Amino acid sequence: MKRKKIPRTIDVMTDRACLKPDYILFAVTMILVVFGIIMVYSASMYSAQKNYGSEYYFMFKQIVGAVLGVIAMTALTFMDYHILGKLRYFILGGSIVLLVLVFIPGIGVENYGARRWINLPFFTLQASEFAKFGFIIFTAFYMAKHHKKMTTFKGVLPVLAVGVLICILIILEPNMSITICMALLMFVMLFVGGMRIKHFLFVGIPAVLAVVVLIFAEPYRLNRLMAFLNPWASPLEEGFQLIQSFYSLGSGGFFGVGLFNSRQKYLFLPFSESDFILSIIGEELGFFGCVVLMAVYVVFIVRAIRIAQNACDRFGCYLASGIAAIIAIQVLVNIAVVTGSIPPTGLPLPFISSGSSSLIVFMGGVGILQSVARRSHKSIKCLA
Amino acid sequence: MKKPNSLLLTRKRLLAVIIAITFLFCALAGRLFFLQIIKGDFLRGKAAEQWYRDLPLTAPRGNIVDCNGEVLADNRNVYTVYVRPRAVKDFAAVSRALSDAFNLDYDKLYKKLSETFVSEITVMRKVDESVAEKLREQALDGIYFTVDSTRNYPGKNRLEQVLGFTNIDNVGQNGIEGYYDKYLTGVNGIALTETDMQGIQLPSGVTKYIPAVPGCNITLTVDSNIQAFAESAVDGAKTEWNSKSASMIVMDVNTGGILAMASTPSYDNNDPPRDDIDLLNALSKNKMIVDVYEPGSTFKIFTTAIALENGAARESDRFYCPGYRMVDGQRIKCWRSIGHGSQELTEGVKNSCNCVFMDLAQRLGTKKLYDGLHSFGFGSKTNIDFYGESRGILMNEQSVKNVDLARIGFGQAVAVTPLQLITGVCAAVNGGTLYEPYFVSSVDSFDGINVFTRSPKKVRSVISESTSELLRGMLEKVVSEGGGKKAGVAGFTVGGKTGTAQKYENGHIAQGKYISSFVGFAPADNPQYAVLMIVDEPSSYAYYGSIVAAPYAGKVFENIFAYKGMTPKPTEDVKTVIMPELMQMSLTEALRKLKELGLQCEIAGNTDKIIGVLPMPGTQIPEGDVVLIRTEEIEI
Repeated sequence: MKRKKIPRTIDVMTDRACLKPDYILFAVTMILVVFGIIMVYSASMYSAQKNYGSEYYFMFKQIVGAVLGVIAMTALTFMDYHILGKLRYFILGGSIVLLVLVFIPGIGVENYGARRWINLPFFTLQASEFAKFGFIIFTAFYMAKHHKKMTTFKGVLPVLAVGVLICILIILEPNMSITICMALLMFVMLFVGGMRIKHFLFVGIPAVLAVVVLIFAEPYRLNRLMAFLNPWASPLEEGFQLIQSFYSLGSGGFFGVGLFNSRQKYLFLPFSESDFILSIIGEELGFFGCVVLMAVYVVFIVRAIRIAQNACDRFGCYLASGIAAIIAIQVLVNIAVVTGSIPPTGLPLPFISSGSSSLIVFMGGVGILQSVARRSHKSIKCLA
Repeated sequence: MKKPNSLLLTRKRLLAVIIAITFLFCALAGRLFFLQIIKGDFLRGKAAEQWYRDLPLTAPRGNIVDCNGEVLADNRNVYTVYVRPRAVKDFAAVSRALSDAFNLDYDKLYKKLSETFVSEITVMRKVDESVAEKLREQALDGIYFTVDSTRNYPGKNRLEQVLGFTNIDNVGQNGIEGYYDKYLTGVNGIALTETDMQGIQLPSGVTKYIPAVPGCNITLTVDSNIQAFAESAVDGAKTEWNSKSASMIVMDVNTGGILAMASTPSYDNNDPPRDDIDLLNALSKNKMIVDVYEPGSTFKIFTTAIALENGAARESDRFYCPGYRMVDGQRIKCWRSIGHGSQELTEGVKNSCNCVFMDLAQRLGTKKLYDGLHSFGFGSKTNIDFYGESRGILMNEQSVKNVDLARIGFGQAVAVTPLQLITGVCAAVNGGTLYEPYFVSSVDSFDGINVFTRSPKKVRSVISESTSELLRGMLEKVVSEGGGKKAGVAGFTVGGKTGTAQKYENGHIAQGKYISSFVGFAPADNPQYAVLMIVDEPSSYAYYGSIVAAPYAGKVFENIFAYKGMTPKPTEDVKTVIMPELMQMSLTEALRKLKELGLQCEIAGNTDKIIGVLPMPGTQIPEGDVVLIRTEEIEI
């Protein structure tokens, strides 16, 4: 099965028709990105006018991110994803270097009490966004190469080691939410990669315990946890954000108050254009709008997993599943936070929340998915 | 053993992932349904509370006007100045402007404004329009104003104790303001403004108004003109006699309506001494309704009325006064220690001879006297539209001994409110009908709809018309021939009775402390106006009601007649006499001399040695006037 030259051969063998990307995935992605730009504008127009002097401030940034994202997506679509496999150590190493750079004053930017960003001339870059993909590429390649060893605990260890290292670096920023997403991503990839259930329990139970310890280690995390259980107990402190989110969602009702008509965006709901943009969507477009959006995400994820299922090799399969998994995880965690279903953490809603690095990275991820799709079994079948 | 890691397993596991993800999406959709649909109305309602800033629109309080429509209490605009710190752009400038305008400490204010987390800070209330306007001209961000209305009493020091005052929140505290508070208070409106989190109005925001409804206007029976007469009377008396206080009530004899009620000292309703509660309570108390006093001789009107009504005495009955009466072995003095000799009832009233009224009270007995007094309203509240009224003090009927009965007969051992007394006098002279006294004649809504009109309320018939007529005649003689001479007005008939009572302090007679009073009515044959003048603790040896109080009542009658355009009957020229030199004479000689000149006199002191007279010898005075002789006082 270790036929490194396969992609090349297929390239040689296939005709143009078989190199088609997944147009439905492309369409769904563009719908989400454009919808995101509109919603970022709606959610931020008042605060942007107030704080930056232009109601289009966040929208323009989002458009720039989208343009860069389209470039990244297109480039990766037409690039052979095996190149990523070859560059896995470089990419992983780069990600880890970025994560370390965050802690160096002058390069790392501190915001809301956490060091998560790297200052670039045009925008700030969130290092953990790239780390997720570095991890996915590394893990996918490792699991493809050593797929026979994946049923043994020893074979799983390198993946766990890299995953835990990245998790530790991110938790030090600190960034609880991305850490949890990373951990979940690691488990989903190992699950798809064939890890045995008993090994899962062996690793999973200590991991869950570690999360509990982390929560109790920092008092503010415990408070946040309590806030999620009963936000009304501290409506002006820990519970504030969640209550404002509830107000937004509740005000929306079934069909919402109409696009651009949110009242909560008038500074009542903090982070309304980023982590809590779903609350504004719920307010303006209602329960109906939210369900349609969730359905679009489900279509996206199912499409991505189908690409994984039809990938022409294990590396493509694992790569696609990893990307599908991280997007699914972030969407689910974000909605769960906004609806007060889990303790609040700051996590952007993929493709929609304001934030250039997140948008570029996710669109790049779609590019990788397309690259896998273009070389799928189906293509080969259609040849036959 | 070991299962191979087949691609089939991968496909199965991917399917499991899809199922798990789809399940989680469905669960979150359920959660959204709960929040948006099931809890939607609740959350929307809670959210709306923070979307609007509500500014109260204060309803103006109703006006209080006199019977001629003259405004006694209205409102003026004042401003509440407050700061919304989050809207402030330049804390230094805002703090500077506010500290200059209100004389506040700049540093403290700056610290307070710039470090607070509160969304609104009230800086100053009740700011005058001119000051607010100056601040507004500086156009500083973050300073806001609300218009408020505060109570304004255009005529200073006039009816304070009747009108009362409002607290800082415009709630009536006492007086008419307190009693009619629910009518005077309007219904506040509200202005709802759509704002952002910081309280800044939205660019597209809509402001919804619920207008305020002003309070009702209240019309008093009080006539500002008559009130002014009464005020100048009490002010004059207090100054002339250097008394502790002076008070006057003018009442409409045939309705019970209060035409004037004045008392001095008083206070300024526009700026009541709110910081000193005791002082405020003392000055704002309406003593004529709330406090009791021992009426003294003015009370003899009721003893006479009850005796005549019960047939216990007739006009022509004769009484002998040796200067005292022995009652149950106790010697009770008449005010004139040398006695009045034999006299008819009319003369007894004119002379205010204590012996006559002791006899009348004894003839009536406790039961009949008390029934009569109760009937005149003593011992119970008059039910005037005013808070805090006293019911007066009548001894328990069972424990009244003969001595007490005799004293009550001439107005001792009994305490009444000035209001009770004048109300009773009105009943005695108006044909016998007791009316409930009142201040407010009508209440009208701000847009002129009548809410309430008061009509005079008859409480009961106390005495017959004929008794009343008899009484009017007797009381007229008191003024035309007796001690009430100084209350007379040329060309008019005035009836009345003087009173001089010693004050009690802690149950004992307070030496040298008197309450001098006069109660009168006019015209005597068809009474319209009743006046009660009380001078509390005149600091002069001239403490007689006839000298201290009666002249001021007379002035008020005179003013009322002129104001009402009542024409005087033509009178013969008043004969005048020259006050003779009496200092070297004995008391008996002096009295004979005064009788020859047609003068009456009051005597202060208990010996024959004359040490002073009033007025000064050589003064020209009308014939029949009352003069004062002071004799040496020795302790017995």
